[in-house]
Amino acid sequence: MEFKDYYEIMGVSRDATQDEIKRAYRKLARKYHPDVSKEPDAEEKFKQIGEAYEVLKDPEKRAAYDRLGPNWKAGQDFNPPPDWDAGFEFSGGGFTGGAGGADYSDFFESLFGGGFRSAGGYSRGGTRSGGFRMRGQDTHAKVLIDLEDAYRGAVRHITLQVPEVDERGHVVTKTRTLKVNIPKGVKEGQRIRLAGQGSPGLGGGEAGDLYLEIAFKPHPFYRVEGKDVYLDLPVAPWEAALGGKVKVPTPGGVLDLKIPAGSNTGRKLRLKGKGIPAREPGDFYVELKVMTPPAANAEQREFYERMRNEFEFFNPRSALGV
Amino acid sequence: MTQIEEKILEGLLLDEGCSLTLADLSRACASHAEWVIELVEEGILEPQGREITRWRFSGPQLRRAQMVRHLQDDLGVNLAGAALALELIEEIERLRSRLRRYEPGC
Repeated sequence: MEFKDYYEIMGVSRDATQDEIKRAYRKLARKYHPDVSKEPDAEEKFKQIGEAYEVLKDPEKRAAYDRLGPNWKAGQDFNPPPDWDAGFEFSGGGFTGGAGGADYSDFFESLFGGGFRSAGGYSRGGTRSGGFRMRGQDTHAKVLIDLEDAYRGAVRHITLQVPEVDERGHVVTKTRTLKVNIPKGVKEGQRIRLAGQGSPGLGGGEAGDLYLEIAFKPHPFYRVEGKDVYLDLPVAPWEAALGGKVKVPTPGGVLDLKIPAGSNTGRKLRLKGKGIPAREPGDFYVELKVMTPPAANAEQREFYERMRNEFEFFNPRSALGV
Repeated sequence: MTQIEEKILEGLLLDEGCSLTLADLSRACASHAEWVIELVEEGILEPQGREITRWRFSGPQLRRAQMVRHLQDDLGVNLAGAALALELIEEIERLRSRLRRYEPGC
């Protein structure tokens, strides 16, 4: 197991006062709070900070931790000395471990896991009440799906890393794969709750719930905002100028779109109800982009020259005053 | 150690159409009903239905309540502070979602 330098994690010196530690914790907790932070590893950082604070805020635990000595380096292989905690009387509740214990590292559990745990730290869900019957923690995971899945619905495999406490009190990570039905009409950021699929309860307490948050994989040409879907649609100059019917891909299938004569780049057309389906479905917006074919041979160059002469009056930069 | 479950799980989609009671919401936030009532009084939650026994909360309202719970527990902010943080977080999410329309992958 790796040694954890709680002072380094909190960014304070070993002789920091309790007030300095509290200030450092508040500042880091705000920065890495999973609901607030968009840092990719915010949740992991937040847990580490919570664990470090759990030890350093409590003078007894801090003193015990300090007794390990200042020569340990973060990440160094560590085993607690046999009598490291002799002479310390840890206060706090007598009952610990289990679902709540899954929050802390192996290192923490080896030092403090056996005897006590106060409420607080990174404890979420139903673990705040004491007693021997405890509901398991709620857990959270993000699921990346294709936009097409939101149009049709899908079954997705979700793999979760679940920390569990084994019979010897060690935290072990297990991999769990669930098959989950993603209903038609889900939107980015929406959540699906799977009752009883969170952390197991203790002493006959019920299991927590698993919350899955939906996110869409980036798509090469569709963009999504809420329940509306956007597409840049390339059109030929004659399609824009003369109008006509063109094919448009949508996540629900190919549709025909009528382009009004006299259209131009930037024109937005709406396909009502062709966004993400729901009782009130979203809309599908098409923004036209006129593409000019290259003048690749003599005839084509001649054609463009004829166009130039024919449209002599046309100045695409007139609005710019040049 | 890998555990694969074959059964297809059907979850509850916590969308606008979802209808949660005061008891459902309290349980999901591991909080007393009095705390949820405070959130309604603060204007953080706006349930459908007049009397408390008929209150119904949507999926996004559950998310708001849970975020307030976390902000209070983890950062020690009071209810008014949590409400303010919540509004700012939601505004940032709206802007990010709009930004994704122009800069995918952000």
